[in-house]
Amino acid sequence: MSEHHITPLRTYLIIAATLLFLSGVTVWVSYVDLGALNIVVAMLVATLKASLVAFFFMHLLWDDKKNLTMFLMSLMFFGIFVTITLLDTEFRGDLGLNPETKDPINKRAAFYDTLPLTDTHGHPVDEHSDDHHEDKDHH
Amino acid sequence: MSGHDPNSPRHLKHYFHDVNQQYETSKFAMWAFILTEVLTFAGLFVAYIVYRSWYPDMFIDAHKLLDVNKGLMNTIVLITSSLTMALAIWAIQKNNRKLSVLMLVATFLFAFVFLGIKYLEYSHKFEVGQLPGEFYSYMGPDAVHLNNPHIFFSIYFIMTGLHGLHVAIGMGLIAWLIYSTYKGNLTSEYYTPMEMIGIFWHLVDLIWIYLFPLFYLIG
Repeated sequence: MSEHHITPLRTYLIIAATLLFLSGVTVWVSYVDLGALNIVVAMLVATLKASLVAFFFMHLLWDDKKNLTMFLMSLMFFGIFVTITLLDTEFRGDLGLNPETKDPINKRAAFYDTLPLTDTHGHPVDEHSDDHHEDKDHH
Repeated sequence: MSGHDPNSPRHLKHYFHDVNQQYETSKFAMWAFILTEVLTFAGLFVAYIVYRSWYPDMFIDAHKLLDVNKGLMNTIVLITSSLTMALAIWAIQKNNRKLSVLMLVATFLFAFVFLGIKYLEYSHKFEVGQLPGEFYSYMGPDAVHLNNPHIFFSIYFIMTGLHGLHVAIGMGLIAWLIYSTYKGNLTSEYYTPMEMIGIFWHLVDLIWIYLFPLFYLIG
């Protein structure tokens, strides 16, 4: 099968060195406070690293493009999965349908026995105030 | 064997036209499998995204309970193992069987180191009670103010656990590759299994590339 592309050794070494370098970069940048941009930078670096792995180590660059298509389709379906799920979860409560969604959800967890319940902002929540909660959201 | 051509290579299945068609078919099927793998992890990534958007502050504080150094070490180990895996395929393409076996052994050992570091992390978390769901019992001073930290650890354990399972399965496959290559069953003429397991192994690396910043390097 001599027609298979053989990637030069130098390419592999350069890609691996770049991946290690980018891993260092992503750790370093996580200690710099960029606010909301931190996650964006981290994901951009991760995606750059993932692309290097996919195109060079997984040989997608030299493969028939049907393999790349298959891979990109999995990412596309992931995108659809995320989008449609977030359209639900991000807007629950806007209609007052599920105001309790963000409250502590597993009251059986061992540590809740000793811990006062709090809302998402860390403010104490009265366990028996469910009625008031609903009233507020309906008016 | 249908015996349509007595000169055809031993590894060519009779229902394929030629070795190249057989190779390309295997590869395309492997990528179909990779698609299902990505979608398996996609469900867990969606869980991560949804809960992080519901509890942004808790995720940032809970991630400080993880050890960045161990995470970074595992990243380096896994990237290096990806390189040795690629080099094993490169060596067999060049018909250097000895180097190929050596690189596969190195890959196997790096995978073992990865799971070893993971074991140290897990056993520490079991000790202090940073566990998923209702098993969570950690009440250290850096955690008492956290709202629902057990959700973070549920997602952490399921995602890194499934990834660890992939590493373990990969080790089994690589062990088989070491045996086959050593025996001479894989050569520069026919190394399809090594190429396919290589793709699987790089996927394991690829998923860790996302898990590392998402769990160890938040905010």
